[in-house]
Amino acid sequence: MADLFSGLALGFGVALTPINLMLCLIGALVGTLVGVLPGIGTIATVAMLLPITFGLPPIGALIMLAGIYYGAQYGGSTTSILVNIPGEATSVVTTLDGFQMAKQGRAGPALAIAAIGSFFAGCVATVLIAVLGAPLTKLALAFGPAEYFSLMVLGLIFAVVLAKGSVLKAVAMIVFGLLLSMVGSDIETGVSRMAFNLPELADGLGFATVAMGVFGFAEIIRNLDAGAQMDRELVQQKITGLMPTRKDLMVSAPAIIRGTVLGSILGILPGGGAVIASFAAYTFEKKISRDPSRFGRGAIEGVAAPESANNAAAQTSFIPLLTLGIPPNAVMALMVGAMTIHGIVPGPQVMQKQPELVWGMIASMWIGNLMLIIINLPLVGIWVRLLRVPYRLMFPSIMVFCAIGIYSINNAPVDVILAGAFGLLGYWLIKHDFEPAPLLLGMVLGPLMEENLRRALLISRGDWTVFLTRPLSAVLMALAASLLVLAVLPSLRKKRDEVFAETED
Amino acid sequence: MADTAGHSPGSTASTIRNSSAAIAVLVLALAPQLVDLVWSIGGLLGSLAGLVKSSGRNPAQVLAGHGSALLFAVPSLAFGSFGATTKSALSSETLLALIYTYPLLAVAAFTLFVKLRAPQDYFGGVILMAIALFALWASSDLQGTRGFSFGAGTTPRMFGVLLLALGAGVAVVGLVTDGPKLATYAWRGPLFESLSILSFALTIRPLGLVISAFASFIISALGTPETRWTETIIVGICLTIGCSLLFPYALGLPLQLFPRFLLQ
Repeated sequence: MADLFSGLALGFGVALTPINLMLCLIGALVGTLVGVLPGIGTIATVAMLLPITFGLPPIGALIMLAGIYYGAQYGGSTTSILVNIPGEATSVVTTLDGFQMAKQGRAGPALAIAAIGSFFAGCVATVLIAVLGAPLTKLALAFGPAEYFSLMVLGLIFAVVLAKGSVLKAVAMIVFGLLLSMVGSDIETGVSRMAFNLPELADGLGFATVAMGVFGFAEIIRNLDAGAQMDRELVQQKITGLMPTRKDLMVSAPAIIRGTVLGSILGILPGGGAVIASFAAYTFEKKISRDPSRFGRGAIEGVAAPESANNAAAQTSFIPLLTLGIPPNAVMALMVGAMTIHGIVPGPQVMQKQPELVWGMIASMWIGNLMLIIINLPLVGIWVRLLRVPYRLMFPSIMVFCAIGIYSINNAPVDVILAGAFGLLGYWLIKHDFEPAPLLLGMVLGPLMEENLRRALLISRGDWTVFLTRPLSAVLMALAASLLVLAVLPSLRKKRDEVFAETED
Repeated sequence: MADTAGHSPGSTASTIRNSSAAIAVLVLALAPQLVDLVWSIGGLLGSLAGLVKSSGRNPAQVLAGHGSALLFAVPSLAFGSFGATTKSALSSETLLALIYTYPLLAVAAFTLFVKLRAPQDYFGGVILMAIALFALWASSDLQGTRGFSFGAGTTPRMFGVLLLALGAGVAVVGLVTDGPKLATYAWRGPLFESLSILSFALTIRPLGLVISAFASFIISALGTPETRWTETIIVGICLTIGCSLLFPYALGLPLQLFPRFLLQ
């Protein structure tokens, strides 16, 4: 216990230095600024802003990234509530009741309750990380290559279950991602693989390049299909009365607590917890509500629960990243990318070797949350004005910004062309109803998976049953198999489709 | 969509669609060879203009190489018969024909005779198969498994085969269940956004940030007919100034602002 608090104290010591506070503040502001833009989700925001952290020292860079992440997430909810355009999957549910509240002139309370719920969830999740971090690190030491491999399989299967639409297509996207991750030099022998003798491909495809292409460029190209005059039903009323009433608070307090609990649990599991957390929290609230018909017509619980769940999950998803080094979702994968650029290899060793980094980041998450609540509520007016900038002016700016961002990673023009190619690929994927998120996760986990698979088989002398004979690994594999079976089962499929269908009206 | 099998107008419409679908798959099957040919023509023109060093192979050689590979791939395999030793002796073109083109030609022929109930899924699956086959070809020169130790090529091949199977699965789903038609593709957005990216990539080194950022902003704005030019140009100038201050100065990235020839 004393251990835990000394850790947190160390973290706050690091995070509360003026420079790091400043970085966190700037990150949260810029993250919100970009995240508010419709059509740009958290992943795209973090991918776009990644290059601006390159010049900083590692701790500062990660603190700023954490700020950007929270800012982007909060910006996404703002867009969902005010214009009914969810920036990304996690804020889809927020649009259901949030936008209805805004239409009734209650955008202020909706935004406030989203921020308050997120903050509460963030506080709880921060404590949870601090408590669970150290024991989980010990568990991580019991992990051999076989266990790592099985855990990653579990994570990928999770991503499949959560992707909407066909299970088969989601699995195909993961394998495509794994295949893309093989481009470049082989880890063990250093042989160049599928690089066609192009020196630019010798190091493999850059993760940020692919992410920016598949999410950033593809999104813009797709939006242009519909015409730049995007159908935006902007809330025209002035936002008055920011604070929720006493009744609002009474109603949403239990919803926030339930959402936080649900989100914290789902976030720890590898494989994109934040999305399912917000959906699960919403459906749960609807189920236990005395009057379910209120949902979809501006019920404040419908904003409070998913927003807190999504933030709690986002926060606890740092646990598998910091302890096992496995990114549980695409945003965390970007964080890993950022860490490796700064020469940090995430995993159990980081906790021991660089405690100030880990605890600093945990503390700064909490501070980031606090900042969001303090800065963003007064700034809502500005964000609303930003939403009135027409898309025809916005999209070329985003294009240029992205292009400079990619170029600046390696100072390589070829990276920009590759990102463009992946943009076209992403456009094609959207047209054929393939989801890009599993692809990205597969691509990130690919090298780790391959390495552990090879190592496990080498240790077992080529015996494939090693994944089933080692108890921990067998449990993980069994979990993965049962999840996959559940996802394919028709009854559950129908339910899952219902959850998604409900959000697409 | 009127896919009434009994009516003659409907069935002729579907045969027309199917032959065009088969042709699309055929083009896909020959795509790497065509790209190689275009590339070599580009290389030839480039070397004639003195822009780039000759790539070594001229279009005629490329055409002859792929042509003979496509024609004689099966005989050469038959002569070499079984055994992994001869496989390494096969040329890269022959392998491409064997691994990539022939299976896809079979798919193209197959497409001709089936009813596509969900074209979106069917073509999605077929293109995934093409990607998998291409990856299998690209990793065919790599060392495979030795004893129980993986070679560099083991995992790429493993995932390649897996993706092939999954792509085939998606395509089969498109044959047996009803689903959405092909989505319509717009040309304007993709074209100008790609051009914008391309122009940025090509001009950033020689011309510097200011010119290339502004140019790619303008090209990108062509992507929609709704652009109003005065405001676009004003915003473009402001954005260029903003980026020139933000990236090199505020963030300290080593970006060159102005054309190289002006600086010398």
